[in-house]
Parts: sequence; C-alpha cells; structure tokens
Amino acid sequence: MSTEYDNISPDLIWEVVRKNNSYLCKRKQGGGVQFSRDPMNLANKHSRKHDGFVNEKAIGIQPDDNTVSMTTKLPSRVNKPAKSTQQSSFSASTPNRKLYKSIVNSTAKKGYRADLRMEAVARASAVKLSQKEKKDTPAPKLRGAKARKAAEGSS
Amino acid sequence: MTSRPTVTIHGADGSPSDDTHPLPAVFKAPIRPDIVQSVHSGMAKNKRQPYAVSEKAGHQTSAESWGTGRAVARIPRVSGGGTHRAGQAAFGNQCRSGRMFAPTKVWRRWHQKINLGQKRFATASAIAASSSAALLLARGHHVSSVAEVPLVISSNAFSGATVIKTSAAVKLLSAVGAGPDVDKVTKSRKLRAGKGKLRGRRHKQRRGPLVVFDPEKDGKALARGFRNIPGVETCSVYALNLLQLAPGGHLGRFVIWTSAAFAALDSVYGSTTEPSELKRDFLLPSNVVAQPDITKLINSSEVQSVLRPVRGGAITKRGNVQKKNPLRNKQVLLRLNPYASAYHKEGLGQQKTASDKPKGKDETFEAALLEN
Repeated sequence: MSTEYDNISPDLIWEVVRKNNSYLCKRKQGGGVQFSRDPMNLANKHSRKHDGFVNEKAIGIQPDDNTVSMTTKLPSRVNKPAKSTQQSSFSASTPNRKLYKSIVNSTAKKGYRADLRMEAVARASAVKLSQKEKKDTPAPKLRGAKARKAAEGSS
Repeated sequence: MTSRPTVTIHGADGSPSDDTHPLPAVFKAPIRPDIVQSVHSGMAKNKRQPYAVSEKAGHQTSAESWGTGRAVARIPRVSGGGTHRAGQAAFGNQCRSGRMFAPTKVWRRWHQKINLGQKRFATASAIAASSSAALLLARGHHVSSVAEVPLVISSNAFSGATVIKTSAAVKLLSAVGAGPDVDKVTKSRKLRAGKGKLRGRRHKQRRGPLVVFDPEKDGKALARGFRNIPGVETCSVYALNLLQLAPGGHLGRFVIWTSAAFAALDSVYGSTTEPSELKRDFLLPSNVVAQPDITKLINSSEVQSVLRPVRGGAITKRGNVQKKNPLRNKQVLLRLNPYASAYHKEGLGQQKTASDKPKGKDETFEAALLEN
C-alpha cells in the first residue's frame, strides 16, 4: 500500500484480499461472476485493476444529489484515511461532453490511471443518464374509427 | 532503506499532536494470511467444551436377534410380549430408538496444539496487517474518518482513570474517528440463525475497534469504560491474542493503540536482529521478498536492462478491431493495394478496351464457301 513500509504493496494486498473481502459480491449464477461494492471501483468488477481500495491511485464516480462527484485517491496519504481522497463535483447543468472532458483532463491526461479513461467516462455517462428526468409515457393513440368516435362521444 | 517512518500521536480530541513515535519493527513483519488462517483455526478450537451422547443411549434394552428362518431381518429384536415395543428392531443406527452411528465421545480431540513459533509469527503478521488501511477496509471496518493508520492515542487521554465511564469512552472513540465503526457494530446486531440461539449465542454482531493498552502505564480502568460498547474490545499489549487481532482468520483488525502500548511493542516483539525482551528466543520473522511491489520490480533498471527489445517495434498486433471492407473503404484498400491510387488517378478503370467491333465476314468468304 504505502511506499514507506517495505512489507506492504498493492500487489500483496491484492493477493491477501482477492479471495474474500468486504466489498466482494460472489454469485453462483452467471458462471460465478464476481462484483465489487467498492465506491472507488468504476466498473464494479472484482479485479486487480478496478478495485479502488487495493490500488494506490483510484478514481470513484458517484451520483451525489443531482450532481456527479469524482473522488481520487492521493497516493502520498495512503495511511491517513480521513485525508486520503480528493473530492470534486460537477453540477447538474454541466454538459455531458464537458463533464467527460474535465474528468479525463484531471485524471488520464495527467498520467493518473490512464488505463481507467474509458471506464471513468462510461460511468460518468451512466450517472448522468440515471439523473435525467424521465419523460412521461405518451397517451396511447386510439386505434380505429370506432374507438375514436367513442372517445369523442364521451368527452 | 529509507528512514524509519513515524506515526503521529493523537490527542483525546482526535487532533494530531507534535509527538511522533517511530514505527515498531513488528509492523515490518511479513503478512502471511495462510499462517494466520491455520493458526487461527487451531486456536479457535481451544475454547471448546466436550459433549457426547449418553454412553447407554440406544442400548437400554435386552434385544436379541431371532436368527434366520422367521422371514424377518436378523437385526436384534426386543424380547417379550404385551407391548408394541416387543419384536421391534433395536440397537442398530438404522433402527427407531437405536443408538446413533459412531456415538460421540467426550474424549474426542477437542483442543489443538499449535507450535509457539507459529503462534508468534501469526500474531506479528496480524499486527503488521493492522497498519494497512486497505486491509482494514477489506475486513469491513469503517475507517474512512480515521486520521491515521495505525492509530495511536496519547496515554495522557487515559491517565487518572479518565475513561472509567462508558460515556467518556464513547466520546473518545467518536473524536478519534472510530464512531462510524462502532455504529456499524450497533446496527449489525441480528438474531442468530439456528440452534445457537438456545446455547448462549443468541445474537450475531460485527467486531469494532480493538483498544490495546499498557496496563502498567495506562491502568486497567479503561477496560471498564470500553467493555459495554458493542463490538469494542480491549487488550493488553503484553497479551495480544490472534483471535482478537484477526477475527475469523481475516487480517486487518482496526486497532487503537495507546501511546504507552505502542511504545511497548518494540520491547515485546524486538526486531529481526534483536531478540525480544519478554519472549524467550524470539526474533521477528523477516520478509522472504524484500520488495513486495511487483510493478517496481518489473520497472527496475536491473530487470529492464536485461530484457530483449520489443519485437516489431511500434507496429503492434491489432486486437479486437472491426473488419472493414476494402472494396468500400478506400484507406483499407490502399493499405492492401498501394497501386490502387495510381490506378484510380489515371482512370484505368474507366478506359475503353482498344479492340474494335468484330469484323464482318468479307466478300470472299461466301464465294469460297460455295466454291465446292
């Protein structure tokens, strides 16, 4: 985990944690899929790359009452959990493309987990979509002359 | 090796003080989940109480087999008459009210001997694992509000029996950032499934922080303050227990150290070169691999300097790409057939073939045909 202790590293933590951890969600269906409940996991997949608590650097994107919040881990403060993350949030009015751009600019383009570029954008997009207000289902069109006449007659 | 990292000592209100303490050598012990698990499974067996069925159960009848020739199975049958019981099969494990198969005995091997070296190794390993925030999170502790891991609180906060009251202890825990972890325990209390409810294990709940103190300097009064908070346990540094440091055999218990206890760790466990003061013949185990960071190893100049250069250079195999039709896509066509551009530019595809129309037969033909 931290670079200052020389008996712990993300690789070691992953080996300790890969069989069982509090975020892991094992299913017998679907060929035994393994998901992760880690908020810093962009793909919700249980894997060395995606599990945020294992890696020194990780990105978390979450909905946060009508805004999108992005959390990144600060590798220099791994042993100070209260101060180990950087929070930023994007308001609901931010256009989608601008949101993706600023997420990428503040992470992948700075050399911070460039491997997670696509996942970060995909998750931000999914969060945005979930926050979109749903349109009401349109009133069903009346089919046939009889039905139309009946509706006219009643109104 | 770089300078020994230090740990900040926090006050009773959770604020960091200027005091620091160098990290004791135990925290450098190898983290070995395999050893911790096997030692834990042995230790967990050592509190068991013997149980067995009655020696006489299923044998309190004078049944005898009827032998062959009576068109019934040769199992012993209850003798006599006058009741329904007479003539029923007895003794066998397949019989109603017979004895069970292989009746349990009180002299089963209930307890396990675990080698002292392994126990010490496992304890050191569990302590080392408690210094990693990631492992605490993986065990399920809510530590995101904790200032530092390992968390050390100044012994002044406990001096003079200040936390003899539970209210003071709760206040201390929440000030220090352990509040969410205690809340988690309180909310987790559930009725146990199964017969355990009748056997004194009515509820199940998570484990919260473990408060480790030095009874000589901090006094034992704080144990009384903490003992009624759900999930919170206290332990003396001199008697650390693997069952508390790695409950369920899972590494990464959230440990809150008093500064006196933290300071005592070096004398309790010594280091890899200096034997412990309190444990006879004990040196801390050393790591087999000095550099656990595999990425660093791969990227080190020692490894990189002996690697063969990458084959193919910049051209890499394209992975999963969509197939393009070269007849429709000009770029793909050009990649396959560089001549295509010149062919197209000169309009070779549009040129008429030079040949004329087929000539009709000349006049001599018919004459020659009809000559004969």
